[in-house]
Amino acid sequence: MIVRDCAPEALRQRLADGGVRIRTGPVVNSIRSRSQKVMDGLALHYAEYPVEDEAGFADFHIAVAPPRSPRRWLRPQIVFQFDGAVPFFPLPADQAFAMLEWGLNWCVSFHCHQYLIVHAAGVEKAGRALLLPGAPGSGKSTLCAGLASRGWRLLSDELTLLDFAVGRVVPLPRPVSLKNASIEVIRSFDRDATLSPPVHDTAKGSVAHMRAPRESVRRASEQARPRWIVVPKYAAGVQTRLEPLSKARAFMHLADHAFNYDVHGRRGFELLADVVTGCECFEFEYSALDEAVAVFEALAAKA
Amino acid sequence: MQHSSAPRWRSVPPHAVAWREWGGEFVVRNERTGSSHLLGPLAGRVLCILLAASGPLEAAEIAAKLDDSGQIGMIAEALAEFHRLGLAELESQ
Repeated sequence: MIVRDCAPEALRQRLADGGVRIRTGPVVNSIRSRSQKVMDGLALHYAEYPVEDEAGFADFHIAVAPPRSPRRWLRPQIVFQFDGAVPFFPLPADQAFAMLEWGLNWCVSFHCHQYLIVHAAGVEKAGRALLLPGAPGSGKSTLCAGLASRGWRLLSDELTLLDFAVGRVVPLPRPVSLKNASIEVIRSFDRDATLSPPVHDTAKGSVAHMRAPRESVRRASEQARPRWIVVPKYAAGVQTRLEPLSKARAFMHLADHAFNYDVHGRRGFELLADVVTGCECFEFEYSALDEAVAVFEALAAKA
Repeated sequence: MQHSSAPRWRSVPPHAVAWREWGGEFVVRNERTGSSHLLGPLAGRVLCILLAASGPLEAAEIAAKLDDSGQIGMIAEALAEFHRLGLAELESQ
């Protein structure tokens, strides 16, 4: 059963009561909320995701709900609850779906230590994964959305999970978070992309989410072998430029952008080193998304 | 028999370090501090010599093993950096 199979009223009821259990890649999230924004966001972005049995195991028990304060009637707010705790400050209620997405990222990055988790977007073509590690603002999500719009399989726009046993990427395809100018860039780049209405004045500026391609969601259990590590940098007006990056520098970049590298000690070092050994590594600067996508199409064609 | 008063260095034990080398550049993880570092070709080779040595070495001895006596100053700088990073220590006089 997938979310789309649930009648809207039944989905609303499950969200309001015991929680709807949605599988995203390797994790099951039990989500409770009475927020219409959450309901709309789930219906739009998670229609193709598996719904797990209510009696089964859930990795994360999450709620997006109004805080217990008088402000709920003045300027409505919402909080993200994790196992009953409230790890973040409240946000305006119209940011409920964005908060759910940020909260889901937080759940994975702070708890899924069975993986080495790198702050990187990932896409795949012909079994080969392209990893795009980078800080916010580096253009990785925009590039990831552009590539996913051109047939690359979305692995994640934010959290690359590396499996210790085989060194492969475990997909975590979820909506792609687009910020500010990137929203219009993707709208123009792919007229068929499904985007949520932008939410303004968030801590990250204006935010909209792009729905993950159906095929990426359907193939979420298929791991991919890392083949390219590309450190992206978006800068307005620059020429598209792909330059080799030494493996040692690529290693340090991955380690610097890993959420739990320190948790794993030597095991994490060996995994990252093995991943880097098997990859071609580059630095990439771009401003025009169509040119950027063409560069990676050419790279994949040569492999 | 040692007559030199130059500082003599030994690395942390080999089991306390993990390292990889690609194209002359090295990454090294210090198990004692949990930190990882990027080393250039010379520093990487100096560390490998120290790790393989059976006892402490002077910079000049390391230069001799590298077959490059002109690098003593750079080797001394690398050793000082290793000391700061906890990868090498001075032999007690």
